[in-house]
Amino acid sequence: MDIGPIWRAMLRNKAGFVLIALQVAVTLTIVVNAFGIIQERAGRIARDSGVDEANTFAFASVLFTDYEREQRKVLIDEDLDLIRNVPGVVNAVASNSFPLRQGGWSMGVALEPGNQTPESVGTAIYFVDEHGAETFDVTVIDGKNFTPEQVTWSLEDDNTWPAYGIITEALGKEMWPDDAGSYVGKTMYINDNDPVNIVGVIDTLQAPWESWTGVERSMLVPQRRPSEFVRYIVRAEPGMRDKLMPEIEAMLAASNKDRIIRDMTTMDDVRKLAYVGDTALIKILGFIVVLLTLITALGIVGLASFNVSRRTRQIGIRRALGATRPSIVRYFLIENSIVSAIGLVVGSALAIGLNIVMVEAFSLEPLAWYVIPAGVIALWAVGQIAVAEPARRASNISPAIATRSS
Amino acid sequence: MLKMKDVCKIYRTDTVETHALRGFSLAVEDGEFVSVTGPSGSGKTTFLNIAGLLEELTSGVYELDGRDISALNDKERSRVRNEKIGFIFQSFNLIPELNVFDNVDVPLRYRGFDAKERERRIMSCLERVGLASRPKHFPAQLSGGQQQRVAIARALAGEPRFLLADEPTGNLDTHMADSVLDLLKEINEAGTTIIMVTHELTLADRANRNLFVRDGEIHDEPPELHLAAAATA
Ligand SMILES: Nc1ncnc2c1ncn2[C@@H]1O[C@H](COP(=O)(O)OP(=O)(O)OP(=O)(O)O)[C@@H](O)[C@H]1O
Ligand SMILES: [Mg+2]
Repeated sequence: MDIGPIWRAMLRNKAGFVLIALQVAVTLTIVVNAFGIIQERAGRIARDSGVDEANTFAFASVLFTDYEREQRKVLIDEDLDLIRNVPGVVNAVASNSFPLRQGGWSMGVALEPGNQTPESVGTAIYFVDEHGAETFDVTVIDGKNFTPEQVTWSLEDDNTWPAYGIITEALGKEMWPDDAGSYVGKTMYINDNDPVNIVGVIDTLQAPWESWTGVERSMLVPQRRPSEFVRYIVRAEPGMRDKLMPEIEAMLAASNKDRIIRDMTTMDDVRKLAYVGDTALIKILGFIVVLLTLITALGIVGLASFNVSRRTRQIGIRRALGATRPSIVRYFLIENSIVSAIGLVVGSALAIGLNIVMVEAFSLEPLAWYVIPAGVIALWAVGQIAVAEPARRASNISPAIATRSS
Repeated sequence: MLKMKDVCKIYRTDTVETHALRGFSLAVEDGEFVSVTGPSGSGKTTFLNIAGLLEELTSGVYELDGRDISALNDKERSRVRNEKIGFIFQSFNLIPELNVFDNVDVPLRYRGFDAKERERRIMSCLERVGLASRPKHFPAQLSGGQQQRVAIARALAGEPRFLLADEPTGNLDTHMADSVLDLLKEINEAGTTIIMVTHELTLADRANRNLFVRDGEIHDEPPELHLAAAATA
């Protein structure tokens, strides 16, 4: 309502306001783009690995004595038997890898047999027995889990791929985009010519590589592999994990002295390690966002305080002429809104520009539609809050100033 | 009608208490033109500030148009200043960032008039003080006399019942001072009550009534006696 004279008065004293508007513009530009990156990274971190992470841990059993193939099978069976019978264990499985581990096995699968074509689809492979589904906490949403008869030991000198597979929905969708929900019973080819019959579909089980674009594609394969190095994954009942980890480690170390138990780790730690870069980036960008916002707020406080001192007399005169305290506060709020509005309009344009450049250069997602409006509102609010205290001080200036100082 | 009874004003600083007004009692009728003279530091500005609601009194009763001022809160005091009182200051006190038009506009905006009404009042007041041709000038581009005329226009724009002037001609040469006083006389004749603090006895003489302030006390006397008082002091 008083914008006219406030604006005209600002034009007579541009320098400070121009600087603050610029600062607001730059802050908005950087803050919203940093926020966009934070949002993207946080979204990646928030993806469900499928595993019951809070209650799951993993470790490796490594033989250092030469064992025959048959001996190794026996040891694995013994180990799993021991582990699964520990009170507090939900289930356990020996597998080659697990989500977020960053290392694992991948294969190409195709609709037709023959040499791997460019059309083949990559998927992560988890070799498991019928306990795999429960240990990984996946739900079989269509078809069935493996029966014990479908699970076989791998054979020496025979690379034939097992005939059954349980795939994630994401893998099914990639293979048969037009047949959503009816992947069970279909056949795909792996290892060039080996058919895989889809016996079940599971909801979510990430591949071990969180940064892979196909991270949602994985397949459970009903095969057990008797190597010297065996990775066990154990799912505990809620609250039991930390008690079970040392317990099971000690138990296995005692049960067989020809191997060592190592790489004992919780899924929580595996996740932390997998996302350590993303987490660090979020923290750094978050720090920059806070710092820039703070610097801008301080700049606004500084300019407003300076203007209050500079205008002490004029404020007293305004009071003498009938300004109420709230109308003095309002003057500074409106003035700040004008500066902010200019800065935020310029900043919005710069932010869009920077985002276009970043999307091109780093193949980022473009900013969500609401990020810039939200940034605009947030920075406007920061400005109003920053200006509030100097404005309150201004409103306390006595109208007697008008007659007292000359 | 402006009425004070036993008004005291005490300024307290860390070390001293200054009794700027002691038992100040007076009544100013509507339409009067009152001059206030007195030695420096005697309490003239203090009186004017209290009369104009710029400062609160320490004790006593002050009624403006029959209304007890001490009962008013800050918002109501601001409103009384805005509607009933016009101020003219020795140092003009125009807002340097605003042009003549916007300066006169300041109290009108606080009053809440619409744009049309404000413009009408601004232009008619500028007309009245002879500055209708310079609404876009800034204070720094005007002479002292012109600035004081803008200040008078600003004081008049709200059509106040009272005009309070503290040394309105103090920063002006004799010629300009005379013309400002002519203007005040004219305004007074149009019905506005004026209280004017001044050092100049010749100017004080042109008022209908002369008040003399000494040591925070008020005396209703003609200005000639001041000379004697000042000489013997
Ligand atoms: N804010 C204040 N704090 C303390 N003392 C004050 C304050 N304002 C005025 N005084 C004191 O009150 C007394 C009256 O001051 P006042 O300004 O009313 O005098 P005056 O008659 O207007 O003087 P002059 O002719 O010089 O303008 C002086 O002694 C002055 O020092
Ligand atoms: Mg004075």
